Amino acid sequence: MSTTELIEVKPESEFEEGDRELVDVNGIEVGVLRVNGEFHAVQNRCLHDCGPVAEGQVSRKLVGEFVEPGKRVEKDYDDNEPIISCPWHGWSYDLETGEQLADDDIVLPTFDVVVEDGVVYVDGQQ
Amino acid sequence: MLESDESQPNQEALDRYHVIDGDCHYMESFHDVAEYMEEPWKTKFEESNFDEKGAKQNLSSFFPFSTGDRQAHGKITREHSSYPDEPETPERIREGMESIGVDETLLISHLILAGAGTTADDDRQSAFAKAYVEYMQEEVLDPDDGIHGLAPIPYGDVDASLEILDRIEGEEEYVGACFVTAGATPPLGNRKYDPLYERCEELGLPAVFHTGGAGLDEYVRAGYQEMLETHTLGFLESNMSQIVSLVVQGVPEKFPDLDIVFMESGITYIPGLITRLDEEYLKRPEEAPLLEKKPGEYIKDFYYGTQPLEISADPEYLEKCFDMVGADSLMYASDYPHWDYDRPTTVTDLPFLSEDEKKQILSGNAQEVFDL
Ligand code: FES
Repeated sequence: MSTTELIEVKPESEFEEGDRELVDVNGIEVGVLRVNGEFHAVQNRCLHDCGPVAEGQVSRKLVGEFVEPGKRVEKDYDDNEPIISCPWHGWSYDLETGEQLADDDIVLPTFDVVVEDGVVYVDGQQ
Repeated sequence: MLESDESQPNQEALDRYHVIDGDCHYMESFHDVAEYMEEPWKTKFEESNFDEKGAKQNLSSFFPFSTGDRQAHGKITREHSSYPDEPETPERIREGMESIGVDETLLISHLILAGAGTTADDDRQSAFAKAYVEYMQEEVLDPDDGIHGLAPIPYGDVDASLEILDRIEGEEEYVGACFVTAGATPPLGNRKYDPLYERCEELGLPAVFHTGGAGLDEYVRAGYQEMLETHTLGFLESNMSQIVSLVVQGVPEKFPDLDIVFMESGITYIPGLITRLDEEYLKRPEEAPLLEKKPGEYIKDFYYGTQPLEISADPEYLEKCFDMVGADSLMYASDYPHWDYDRPTTVTDLPFLSEDEKKQILSGNAQEVFDL
């Protein structure tokens, strides 16, 4: 079992929806975000060309459904799949898994976030 | 004196292979096809001042319809074909095939390639395509002798196209449907064409996309002066634009059992297109939400006719292109009797292909895709 190494972020009560905090996790800059009440933490260094991805737009994954031949593909956002996009060139990652939306072989490192005694921590083990 | 040289195409090697030509052009006569047309087109064609070909190629060589004389002003002749001065006759098809070393062939209409220039109405293309299907089945195609047909699809008129697909259902002479990529507006990934792909998939007919020269002079922008320019660019662009449209709009996801084939732009463009499209897709995947994998993976799932194969390229580069596209996605195609046709030696002489890969490209893949 891997040992946990908790890095403090800030008290949960001060962590509002939509907030982001940058913390240093063993020399790696990590962005901690609160989206739909959930905490997420991703490396703030885009796998494309090192852009500040954790500071990018948070949105929802756009999904398409082929309904029937000749009809428009139905497109909608999936509320359950928050994504984050790097502001430099738009590479987007699933906020939970870190998978690049266009290629799931590319995975942005993500970190567990834990809340203990009212304080939010990032688990330094990837 | 000319010595025989190891580096020269090895004609004898051809006997070892069964060769299927994925793209051969039958130069049909307007007069013959008009016999099978419905009115008013039958009368219109018969009373027109067309010669048998609609217009002679050599008539266009000075004041070109589409930059330049295909025969390069007398340089190119065809001993075993009546093209370009006279219509072809069924008796000569075998002669042409034998002269280049082909055992079975897939014939694509020659005249329909010019149809993409007909933008004023979508009726003429349909009238022609319907009559062509009847004429070829009745008088030319001969599957028992290895002469198969692709039915032209006048996709601008979806209903007429569906009628043609209904018409050829179960007809052994037709082994695929042919979409001429030049001039397709909107591009062929548009949902309006879905019913055609759905029907092809249902019938087990591959959709063969074939580039074409109609409208080349003003291809994308007016002002080109030589066929070297317009043919190099236009034939390529017509296929590339449709490949991108089909993939981005999700046609292979909508119709997963449809086999898709692209003809006549060589192969070196494919890796370039794959890498460029993938690079962009990584940045904007939300614009192609039906895709389950990178666009390049779908592009590799398509089949490609090899002609005009870039055999003068650095062999290492060409080998890399073959690797990226995959021998399982390539089919030998001649484009005979057109000016830049390829003989099967273009494939048999490639130093980097294994024997199995050569067989796959020369016939195996075509046998599988066209169920020959
Ligand atoms: S650096 Fe992030 S998208 Fe380019």
